[in-house]
Amino acid sequence: MRIYEVFLKADGKEEFRHAGSIEAPTDELALVLARENYARRAEGTHMWVVDRENICVSEDGFIDANLNKPHRHNDGERVAKWRKSQRNKKSDD
Amino acid sequence: MKRSWASLEEFEQFLDNGGIVEPVDDMPREYRQAVFDFIEMHANSELMGGLTERDWIPKAPGLRHKMSVIAKTQDEIGHAHLLYMVAADLKIKTREEMMQDLFAGKSKFHNVFHYRAKTWGDQVAIAFLVDAAALVSQQAVFKNCSYGPYKRILRRIIAEEGFHLRFGEESVLRIAEGTEVQRSMFQESINDWWWPALQLFGPDSKPNDLLLRWHIKSERNEILRDRWIQKFVPLLQGYGFTIPDSGLRRNEEKDRWEIGPIDWEPLKQTMVMGGPDSARRISEASDSWDKTGWVREALEKVSV
Repeated sequence: MRIYEVFLKADGKEEFRHAGSIEAPTDELALVLARENYARRAEGTHMWVVDRENICVSEDGFIDANLNKPHRHNDGERVAKWRKSQRNKKSDD
Repeated sequence: MKRSWASLEEFEQFLDNGGIVEPVDDMPREYRQAVFDFIEMHANSELMGGLTERDWIPKAPGLRHKMSVIAKTQDEIGHAHLLYMVAADLKIKTREEMMQDLFAGKSKFHNVFHYRAKTWGDQVAIAFLVDAAALVSQQAVFKNCSYGPYKRILRRIIAEEGFHLRFGEESVLRIAEGTEVQRSMFQESINDWWWPALQLFGPDSKPNDLLLRWHIKSERNEILRDRWIQKFVPLLQGYGFTIPDSGLRRNEEKDRWEIGPIDWEPLKQTMVMGGPDSARRISEASDSWDKTGWVREALEKVSV
């Protein structure tokens, strides 16, 4: 038996979401068991089941918070400042 | 991301700040055990509840009720299934070991499944009172649960328990509108099930309750119990039934119902498998497991 992770997605809506896991001997039966356990009341119209062993998991720290790269998060402050100064100029006129 | 904490204090601070623990995290041993015990008991209770429900499929009054009971049975067994998966991921027991412990009377399940449902009235009382009590508890856990996989699976379970509750309410209404025989049958069921349902919440939470401290539960037992009482006393009385509690009174000043003293002895008995129907229930569950062994065997055979 293998453990499968189950993902569901409703038609036309958002992304696939992890629903939970299921134990099954084959891919085909995993789909059947996932349907019976996770989609009895139209919880989704599309389903993925993935053998847990086949999921590649990133190592700790592999995803960097990148807090030292503020340029990736342009906060628009410079432009906002300039716009404000333009507005002030106008009202002074 | 696998996280670890230098001390229990640091871990508790993480929880107090709303931190959510995931299975890959290096959580303290005591927390892992507490979460596991809690989920295992929930899973066992869903399974035992599902098996009781199943017993009523052939006996349900009419096709409409029969179909609802079949759907409910599938839901309860399904919940058990999902919860056993979440519990197994904590790597304390395998699913097989959890089954064996349940059948050996070594692990717990809710007190209400240690009593026998003798009539359809009992089954309706369970659907109405017990399912509501379970739902109140689950909602309180879901609201603030610090263990991620349990919180997420509870969302699904709670949604389905909502359907069961509506089914219970509809069944009560049908009996309430029924004949005198039906009404008196249901009154007897209320007499039998009121106290076990109320005891499902457990005694007042202790000040040092670890489940509360670690945000596995978010509300105290007595608060949940009282919320249930305030809802169900007027509901049952509204249908013209009485509550089997001679100490019950209305506190008009506080605008609340107050109940008489609770005898905790029956609850204690169920916790050590000494309830009136514990032995039969466990052996029925074990038989059912054996009888369905061929399905597991067949699955193993096609396993790649």
